[in-house]
Amino acid sequence: MDQLANYMPILAPIAIIQLILLITAIIDLVRIERTNGPKWLWALIILFINIIGPILYFVIGRRSN
Amino acid sequence: MSQWLTLLQKETLEMWRNFKWIWVPITFILLGVKEPLTSYYMPQILDAVGGLPEGAVIQIPTPSAAEVLITGLGQYTTLGVLIIVLTTMGIIASERKSGVAAMILVKPVSFQSFVTAKWAGSALLMWISFFIGYLATWYYTGFLFEWIPFDQFLQTYFFYALWLTVILTITVFCSAALMSPGIAGFISLAAAIVISLVSNTLSNWFEWSPAQLTAYANEVLIGQGISDHSLPAGILAVVCIIVLLSLSVLIFRKKELAA
Repeated sequence: MDQLANYMPILAPIAIIQLILLITAIIDLVRIERTNGPKWLWALIILFINIIGPILYFVIGRRSN
Repeated sequence: MSQWLTLLQKETLEMWRNFKWIWVPITFILLGVKEPLTSYYMPQILDAVGGLPEGAVIQIPTPSAAEVLITGLGQYTTLGVLIIVLTTMGIIASERKSGVAAMILVKPVSFQSFVTAKWAGSALLMWISFFIGYLATWYYTGFLFEWIPFDQFLQTYFFYALWLTVILTITVFCSAALMSPGIAGFISLAAAIVISLVSNTLSNWFEWSPAQLTAYANEVLIGQGISDHSLPAGILAVVCIIVLLSLSVLIFRKKELAA
């Protein structure tokens, strides 16, 4: 735990931007009408695959009308 | 001019609506920052992962700040290029497919401003995202290793951004010339890979190649100064961008009139 506290100032910003990425992906997923593939699958991918999940969703999951 | 600005505004607004202004910069930050972090924490990571035989001593030489920054920049020329191509491959092809392009071009909008505004929009996104990402990488490298002078940072940013813009323009060109976004993306990726492979392996013959700009940027970071060849390479990159843009306007006009 001690060590973790030492790393916090360095890792916290990254954790925060990663969280922003995840939240925007989820907001977008909720608002979008249709996606490539089932929506619930994308929700799982965004939530459980770190970093790459939301990026994958934005790159291939969004279907632009 | 005001019409062109309106089109550019429409482009940026669309990128806000589909969150490109949020996720592309964040992706670029994460791509670059990963490098200084993993090289700094490599001993701890090895410790935590374990699996090493008892008493094994691994001496990892601490990389220099320039080396870390160069590998971080390497991420932008591989995964960064992938993201640039994937986000821009559809900008013209998919609009034509969905009929949006026809809807806009019914109005008195010139083909030229339509294509160049699209290019400028995605170039703006790429430059800003790359700047933010590279700035974060530079900051972390300085924080964990040593500070690289800021003017070197700006020089290398300029070199890399120029090469990435060439790739972006190739993608816009393919997007204008081909019907399907997928094929456009594939061809522009292949072109980018072939160009950089050929000019990096035969670097003595292709000193003027725009792909060599990244190598010249790395030389700046190592401290060898700006190479003499960077000027012709830079000029050729700008010429490539202009020629490809005018070609894409030409092809797009022809195709759109035929359709």
